[in-house]
Amino acid sequence: MMVDALRGVSFAVEAGSVYGVIGRNGAGKTTLFRTIAGILPPSEGRVTVWGRVTPLLSLGVGFNRELTGRENILLGGLAAGLDEETVYEHFAEVEEFAGLGEAIEFPMRTYSSGMFGRLGFSVAAHLNPDILLIDEALSAGDAAFRRKCMPKIVELCERDCTVMIVSHGLEFVKQLADRCLWIDRGEVVSEGPAGDVVNEYLAADSIDPTSAVALEDV
Amino acid sequence: MTHMSAPPSRVPRAPGEAHVVRPSMSARERLARIIQRRELLVGMVRNELKIKYKNSVLGFAWSLLNPLLYLVVFYVAFTIILGSGIPAFPIWLLSGLLVWNLFSTGLGAATGSVVANSGLVKKVSFPREILPLASVGSMLVHFFLQSLVLFVVLAAVRWHVAWAYIPLIPLALIALLLVTSALGILLSAINVYLRDTSHFLELALLAWFWVTPVVYYFQLVGHRHGWSKYLWLANPVTPIVLIFQRAIYAKLTNPHPAGGGPPIQLLPHWPYWGFLAYLGWSFAFGLVTLTIAVRVFGRSEANFAEEL
Repeated sequence: MMVDALRGVSFAVEAGSVYGVIGRNGAGKTTLFRTIAGILPPSEGRVTVWGRVTPLLSLGVGFNRELTGRENILLGGLAAGLDEETVYEHFAEVEEFAGLGEAIEFPMRTYSSGMFGRLGFSVAAHLNPDILLIDEALSAGDAAFRRKCMPKIVELCERDCTVMIVSHGLEFVKQLADRCLWIDRGEVVSEGPAGDVVNEYLAADSIDPTSAVALEDV
Repeated sequence: MTHMSAPPSRVPRAPGEAHVVRPSMSARERLARIIQRRELLVGMVRNELKIKYKNSVLGFAWSLLNPLLYLVVFYVAFTIILGSGIPAFPIWLLSGLLVWNLFSTGLGAATGSVVANSGLVKKVSFPREILPLASVGSMLVHFFLQSLVLFVVLAAVRWHVAWAYIPLIPLALIALLLVTSALGILLSAINVYLRDTSHFLELALLAWFWVTPVVYYFQLVGHRHGWSKYLWLANPVTPIVLIFQRAIYAKLTNPHPAGGGPPIQLLPHWPYWGFLAYLGWSFAFGLVTLTIAVRVFGRSEANFAEEL
C-alpha cells in the first residue's frame, strides 16, 4: 500500500531566516526535511533550493560509529558536500564547539547520544551551511549545550544561512523562528509568523503551553 | 507529493547554485555528480580500509597473508595431490588469483555496501553509487598490496615475464574495475530490496571461480569444441585473468609433463591482438552492465532511505 507522507505541501522560506516546522509525531516533519535534503526525492512536485543543504537528522550527519569523532568530522564534512581543504580549515572550531575533550579520539560507538548530538550540531553548524536542517537534533544535548546552540543559530542567520528547525520544543520555535509551518498527516494546517502558528497549534491540540513537556522536550 | 518553490528574497551567495530536487535524474547527471564528489569517494575508501583493520592485530598483513594461505591450500591440492602439471605453480596461481580476489572481494563488498552504510544513506544526500565504488576502491588498494608479494616472488626467483604483454595489464585492470563496479552497483541496489542477494552471491562466486581458469589452465577447456565452451568463454573475467597469466607467467606450454608424453599447451598461442580482442568482450560486458546498473540504481535509489 502506498501512503503519501506529504501531500500538496507548498511554502517558501526566506534566505537568512529561521523557519520552524511543528506537528505531531508522524505528521511528516522528518519526511519533509529528507525531501528538502534530497535524501528522499518527491514522487511528484519539486523542491528548489539555493545553496548547499546540510541536514542534521536524528543527531548525526552520517557518522560511522566505528570511526573516531575526529575521523567522523572529516567524513561528515565530505558527506555534506565540502572539500577536504574546507573541512580542515574549520576543524579546530568544530572540535572546540563540540567540547568533547579527549573523547574526540575515541570511536563514536562509545559516545552517549548527547555527545553524538553535540558533534553532529557542531559539524553541521561550522561547515559553511547555506541551508541547515535541524531535526530534533538539539534534544539530546544537555541544557548547557542547548544554550550554546541558540546564539550559534542566530549567528548563522546573520551570515545569511537559512535554518529550518523541526521541534517539539514549542518555546524554542517561538524564540528562534521567524515563521513557522504546522503540518498534520502530511498536509499544511497553518503557515505564518512563528508566534501565531505556535499559539494556534497549542489551542488546537489543547496542550498547556506551560507544561513541562512542551517546554523541556526541545 | 510535495510542491515547493522558494524564490529567495535576497540574492543567493553564489549565483547559479539553485538546485532542484526532482523525482528522477538522467544517467549523465548522475555520473557528473559522482565525479563532482570524488573527494568523498576517496574519503570513503580510506574509511573502509581503516575500519577493516581497526580491531585486528595483524592489520594490513592480513591482506598479504590471504593470498599466501590460498597458495598453500591450492599447492597442496593441485600440485601434490592431483598433480596438475603446471610448472612453477605458485607463480601461475598468483598471477590469476590476485585478479580473481579483486573481483570477488570487490563485488562482495560492493553488494553489501548500501545496506552497510544505511546510516549515511538515511541522513545525507550524496550520489549513492559512491558506496559500491568505494568498496571496489578499497579492494583495489588490497590488490596493489598483494601484487607487492607477487613482485617480490618474481624478483627473488628472477622470473622472466613477457615484457611485450605487460602494457596490456593496466588495460585489463581497467576492464576488471569496470566489470566489478558495474555488477557491484547493480547488486548493491538489488540487495536493498532483497537481502538474499548477498548470500546468493557467495555461492555464485564459488561457482564463478571454477569456471574461471585460475587454478587450471585456459587450454584445458580452450581446445574443446561445442556450445559449452563458448558459454565458458563468455565469462568476462576470463580475458582479464588470461592477460595477467600471459604477461606475468609467460610460459605457453609445459614441455615436460609429470607423467611423460607430449608437451601440454597451457595458454593459447594467440597473437597480441587476439588477447586484445578477447579483452574487448570484457569491456563490452562491463559497459552494457554499467548502463543497466546505473538505470536500475537510479530508479530504486529514491526509496533507499525508506527501505533501510
